[in-house]
This record gives sequence, C-alpha cells and structure tokens, in this order.
Amino acid sequence: MIIRLILSRMVLAVLTLLAVSVFIFWTAEILPGDIAARVLGREATEESKQAFRDRLRLDRPLHERYWLWLKGAVQGDFGVSLVDQSQERQVADSIKPRLKNTAILGVYAFALYVPVTIFLASISALYRDRLPDGVISLVNLVGLAMPEFVIGTVLIYGFAVKWSLLPVLSQIQRAETLKEILNSTTLPAVTLTIVMSVYSIRLLRDSLIEVLESEYIRMAILKGLPRYRVILFHALPNAAAPALNTMALNLAYLIGGVVVVEQVFAFQGLGSLLVQSVFVRDAPTIEAVALLVSTVYIAANLFADVMSIVLNPRLRTG
Amino acid sequence: MVISWLRRLPPTLIIGMMILAFYLTVAITARYWAPYTHNKIGVGIPFSKPSNDHYFGTDQLGRDVFSRVVLGADDVLILAISSTLVATVIGGLVGLLSGLVGGWFDQLLMRAFDALIGIPFLVLALLIIAAAGSELSGDTRLLIMVVAVVYAPRTARIARAVAIDLVTRDFVTVARARGESVFSIVWRELTPNAIGALLVEFGVRAGYAPIFIGSLSFLGFGVRPPTPEWGLMIAENRAAIFVVPMVVFAPAGALAGLVIGLNLFTDGLARWIGRSQGAASG
Repeated sequence: MIIRLILSRMVLAVLTLLAVSVFIFWTAEILPGDIAARVLGREATEESKQAFRDRLRLDRPLHERYWLWLKGAVQGDFGVSLVDQSQERQVADSIKPRLKNTAILGVYAFALYVPVTIFLASISALYRDRLPDGVISLVNLVGLAMPEFVIGTVLIYGFAVKWSLLPVLSQIQRAETLKEILNSTTLPAVTLTIVMSVYSIRLLRDSLIEVLESEYIRMAILKGLPRYRVILFHALPNAAAPALNTMALNLAYLIGGVVVVEQVFAFQGLGSLLVQSVFVRDAPTIEAVALLVSTVYIAANLFADVMSIVLNPRLRTG
Repeated sequence: MVISWLRRLPPTLIIGMMILAFYLTVAITARYWAPYTHNKIGVGIPFSKPSNDHYFGTDQLGRDVFSRVVLGADDVLILAISSTLVATVIGGLVGLLSGLVGGWFDQLLMRAFDALIGIPFLVLALLIIAAAGSELSGDTRLLIMVVAVVYAPRTARIARAVAIDLVTRDFVTVARARGESVFSIVWRELTPNAIGALLVEFGVRAGYAPIFIGSLSFLGFGVRPPTPEWGLMIAENRAAIFVVPMVVFAPAGALAGLVIGLNLFTDGLARWIGRSQGAASG
C-alpha cells in the first residue's frame, strides 16, 4: 500500500513537471515583438532575418516547437542563446558552471541549516519560557520579517565592512582552492540558512516540548540519564517527523531563494543567470533555467511528500 | 466595556493592530508633514550622515531618506494589500467553485494549479514579467497581476479544501434542491462559511507580500524609480552601506516592522477566529 502511494505521488510529480514545462515554454515564447528583428538589429537584411527564423524554427507551429524543445531539453540540449549571435553560445554551456556554483551554495547552506536548527530548537525547548528561549524566539520573529536581501545586506555590513572577515562580493567563478570556495560561499550560505531556519526552529521546538512532556522522557530523566542524551537519543527522533518534512520543504525553498541571494552577493549561479536573461529577454536561457529549477523544486517537494509518508507510522502497515 | 472586550482579544492581535495602525497613520498623513518630497534631489550633500536636517541621512542623489521612507509607506501598503486582495478573491472563488462542482472540471483546474505551484514563486514571477515585455515593466498593474498569479493557486487549494468539507452539509444540499445555480451557491452559501479561513489566508499572504514585492524591486523588476518603495531604496542605497549604514537600515527596518505587524495581526486573528468558533460550537 505504501509503495503504491509513493508510486502515485511520483507519477503525479512527473505529470506536474510536464504541465510546468508547457507553461514555461508558452510564457517564454509569447515574448512580444519580432525576435529576429530584435536580436539581429535594424540593419539586418530580410534574408538574414529569414535564416535566423529558420534556424530557431520560428515559423513552425508552437506545439511542434514545444515538442522539439522538450526532446532537446531531456537530452541536455537547450538550444542557442539569443544574446550575442556572433558567438553561437550554447545555453547548456553557460548553465553548466552556474549549476555547479549553485549546487555548492545549496549543499553548503543545507549542511549548515540542519545542525543549526536542531541545536537552537533543543536549547529553546530545554530552557522553555526562560531567557534563552525568549531570545531565540525574538530573533526568530525578526528573522521572519527580514527578506533575504536585507539579511544578506546586514551580513555584508557586519562581516565584510565592519570586521573585514569575508569579501563583499562573491568570486566563486575564480575560486580554486577549498579556502577560496568557502570564502566566497559562506555569506550567501549563511543568509539562506537564516531564512530557512526561522520557521523550522519554531516548529521543532514546539514538537520537542510536546515530546519532552511524555511519560517515557520523564522515565529517562528519572533513570538519571544526562540531559543531552535524553534530548539526542530519546526526544529528537520522535520530534523529528514534522520537522523533517519542513526541512525537505526548505530544500525546495532553497532552490527559489537563491535567485535573490545570488543577486545580493553577485554570486555567479543559476539564479543570477535567470535574472540576467530576463533583463535581456533571452528566451532559450530563461526556459532552460526555469525548467531546471522547477525540476529540482518538484523533486524536493516529492521528497518531502515521500518522507512524510514513510515517517507516518499509520501508513507503514501492509 | 470596550476595555473588557479588548482584554479578551489575543495580545498578538492587539499589538499587531497597533503596529498596523501606526503604519496606516504614517501612510495617510506623511504627505502633510514629511520634510521633503520623495523625488526632490540635492536637498543635502549626497550620502550625508543622519543629522537634525536629515534624520536618516541622504541618498546618492542627495534626497532625504527619512522623507522617502515615510512617503513610501502608502505605496508599499497599497501594493501589498491590493495585490493580495485580488489573489484571495480570485483564488478563493475559483477554489470554492472547483470544490463544489467537482469532477473533471475540478481535476483539470487543480492540475493546472499544481503546475503553477510547481514553479518556485520568484521564478514564476520572473517568467510572467519576462512574458509581459519591457513596456509593462515596473507597471503597478503588472505587479498586482504577478502577485495574484503566484498567490491565487495556493489560496484556491485552501478554499477548495474548505468547499469539499462544506458541500456535504445540509444547507448546500437544500440550496441545490431549490435549484440555485452553482455561482449563487458559491456566493451565498459557501463564501460566508469560508470567510474565516480565507481571512487568515489573506493575512498570511499579505504578511509576505511586502517582502515579495520588495524582492522584485530589489532585483530590478518591481516599481520604477523614483518611487520610494523600500525594496527599491535598499537596492539603490546598498553601495552606501559603507558610508552611511542608515540609508539602508531605515527602509529595511520599515519593511521588517510592517511584516512583523502583519504577522502578529494574522496570528492573533487566527486565534481569535478559532476561539469564537470554539465558543459558538461548544
């Protein structure tokens, strides 16, 4: 039964992704104006415009172009960028290094986020309604009200301007050694971590408090176990289920959140590539990045869904 | 009597209302007492530090940041509330209708909304902005539409869940037996019963809308300069954080305060609605 449930979620995710791809293609292709005239400039001859249209298959009907585009996209071919026609730059080539940078940033942020959330939520639950809990709750409320670009800017002000510990702008594209990579990713990663953890700390704290009041925890405390053992091995595994779901959902948030954060730090990733291509209205690149990001987003949501199914003991029978 | 009634309200609701009342007052009255206009350039030396003439300093064009922050309140409030309202009304009505009608109509609509929800919201917003073209860029109507397209599917999901719960009740069956049209059932039977859930949904979304719109402005796709929108101001003044931190922190603080107020208000509202419903049924 549980296998069937998970399978049906997977099929649904694939269908959603297909619908998403239709939507993305459709919005990017209705960009107003004659693309050929815009890209080639006013002096272009009628022949060169026609050749351009032929190459981009602009004369074919929309559904045919969609099919060709999708077929290419599945094989990693997203066509040619509309910007800078003299260079014939493949969209896939400009995406690859960006994808790597964004992946580094995402993994780093997530690796920070999970322990930070568990640690702060445990402190908050242990010192419930006392000073540490109050401070964490207050910081949480403020963090909740801060957009990514404000948090990032404040961090730049603190760590890069006041104390000169880290660079103001990220230079990930030039980073070679691990130290350089860490140097250029830490501030963006911390920004993402803060945004992600504010919700989850609250959630994990509440479910920890609930668990801490149960009989078996009192039993563990009465047995004389040290507090950290009670929290780590007795309470956390049982309090983790709802928080794990949020953590997986935050993975999905992360994928969209990088758009703003990368812009704040001038980080050369997928998000900043998307913003740039929207500015110059480079449809093939917009389509490719949007599709890529949405795929990961849907996969992360599916992962969250499956996690909550697997972790729900009521569904685990049979 | 008023005092005792107020005392029974959740404290977060009262604090939230106070913060929102403050912002509303500033938004309505700022134009009468702001020391300068929002686009008057050169009223001080660019990037001068906070002083008695310029409480929050001046920006790169020598505009008074204090005036720009307080004069921006009405734009920010109107944009956030009108866009969320459009999204809640459209999403709410469509969701209720979908839950009531059911069948393939419901399935089709929900799958379409799944697709819209399947795109991270900022990416979706950028797609719509790209599709709208450069002439519309920075247009208020476009921004309202962007927020509506992003929020409405999420609201519709909530509304649909409420409707599915409601359609099995007797008053809907009776209305159907009377031969009322589906639109009339949605409007006269379902909407009054779903209004609490929709109100909370509106509050949650409205609490995030200033951040959302601010982020778009920050990326360069929001309102046009010289509108004193806080996200745009932060983007414009960011380079000056080395010199005069206040020109960035002032709009950031204004934005954060508004979001905190909206969140407290919604949290209190949800508690209050839950409590009065519990009192009515218990």
